[in-house]
Amino acid sequence: MSMFFADLVGRTDEDRRAFETHPVVLDAVAHGMTVERYRALLLELYHVVWHFNPVCAAAASRMGTPAHEPQQAIRHFLYEHMHEETGHETWVLNDLEAIGVPPAQARAHQPTVHTLSLNGYNYWAADRRHPCSVLGMLYALEVVASVYGGPFASAIRESLLLEGDHGVSFIDSHATMDAKHMAELRQVLNQVREEAAQAAIVESVRVNFHHFTRIVEGV
Amino acid sequence: MGPPEPGATPAATTAAVGVAGLLGRPYKTIRLEWTSDLRLLRVRMCVRPIQCYSLAAMGELKQMLDDISANPGLVRHFVMTSDVPQVFNFGGDLALFVLLVRAGDIESLELYGRRCVDLVWWMENAANLGIHTTVLAQGDTLGGGLESVLPFHKVIFERGAQAGFPEVLFNLFPGMGAWDFTIRKAGFAVANEMILSGRLYTAEELQYRRLVDVVAEPGEGEATLDRVVREVDPRHRGTIAALRAQRIAAPVRHESLMQIVKLWADSAMGLTDRDLRLMERLARAQARKAGGAEEGAVEEIKRLELENAWGDRRSGFERRAAGGSDRRMRG
Repeated sequence: MSMFFADLVGRTDEDRRAFETHPVVLDAVAHGMTVERYRALLLELYHVVWHFNPVCAAAASRMGTPAHEPQQAIRHFLYEHMHEETGHETWVLNDLEAIGVPPAQARAHQPTVHTLSLNGYNYWAADRRHPCSVLGMLYALEVVASVYGGPFASAIRESLLLEGDHGVSFIDSHATMDAKHMAELRQVLNQVREEAAQAAIVESVRVNFHHFTRIVEGV
Repeated sequence: MGPPEPGATPAATTAAVGVAGLLGRPYKTIRLEWTSDLRLLRVRMCVRPIQCYSLAAMGELKQMLDDISANPGLVRHFVMTSDVPQVFNFGGDLALFVLLVRAGDIESLELYGRRCVDLVWWMENAANLGIHTTVLAQGDTLGGGLESVLPFHKVIFERGAQAGFPEVLFNLFPGMGAWDFTIRKAGFAVANEMILSGRLYTAEELQYRRLVDVVAEPGEGEATLDRVVREVDPRHRGTIAALRAQRIAAPVRHESLMQIVKLWADSAMGLTDRDLRLMERLARAQARKAGGAEEGAVEEIKRLELENAWGDRRSGFERRAAGGSDRRMRG
């Protein structure tokens, strides 16, 4: 029997490639962005990252009861993951400050409908679709970070003449850090046996890639 | 029967019947054309915007080849070309490799490799189905892209197309037929040189090494392709018999291909973050070319070769400057 992680990679490969090969994403990875567009992207990312742990918490809170918890391993994985992601929205704020956006302005930013759609779907899916949907969000966002984050950070650094990780600390550090996360996520996904959970995860990956592409396209 | 493999074409349950069935599938990454007087099936690869062997492309190619196998005697000539200007094929899906390596998913890497081998193995055995195979490369042909052309009976390159196995530059090696097919066509020394150097070769250099049969002038690839197929056609039966005998005389073993895939996947799991960053540099260069830039992966590979050469030379200088004489070098 094939492992669910391998199955997920195959079933959502065209969604990943649709993100990767979108003209705006291709251009951003190849040539970077203007500082205005990069600011706009980080402002959106701040609101994605801010909601990351609350979405995980919402999903964890719906994973069974003390008497019956078939997803205990996934719930524990989410706790660990939330711990590791704690405070990362501050990294985005620091990067924004490095490129001229004060924290107060970033906090007051009204996210675009694409970001609202992404966050809205993830809360809804954790609540109404299946709590394991959250693993789809994790997969999509970690693929974006660990596979495309490195080249994108290099492109931004070159196009905006930034030094070291100044202004790109969030994206650059996640490119490496999420490699470890990806390996852990694979192990957790391989424990998901329930068909309904698997279907919800596949759907969540597709929706997250779709909305994330729209976010990048929109800036 | 087990669950479908990841990325499998959902409709791949029953074989297509006849030419209409063969051409009638709704493919996204390949386009098929039929020339009835030659009974020629032409496949135009169009994995846009980055032409590579994505899971979807391999699923569709496998489906199409299964359809051909299910209709014995229908196809006499099989031709493969690219619909992407200046690129034949960049080979493996680098972003997918990075994903799987970072996830530590050796099973999926092996599965990917086995699917590639399925395709080259079909080409290797095409003569047994009575099919003569020809490939035309009009642009960059890298890594798995080059591996995929080697089992074809006739390999045509346009002058200006460049090819090579750059994998060693990021600490990997081409694992889907490069060794077996290069050794058979060009000999052990050439395979060693090409795979271990990672350098790129012009069409003329590949012809000199017997990996390319015909070099066409730029823009004349199509006419050359037509001429080559029409030259073979009247002698089709004898050519096919000879090619079958050739494969018996100099066989490529499926077992060897599979063992190498396993070794390739093992090696990929050992790639460091630096190696993956180099792979990502190539992926970025592919993205630049896909976006319409003049420079792409080929130029990036040349830069990597230069950096490696300077790195080697610099480390030599540094050894000498530090007084750490390398006695082995001095003899």
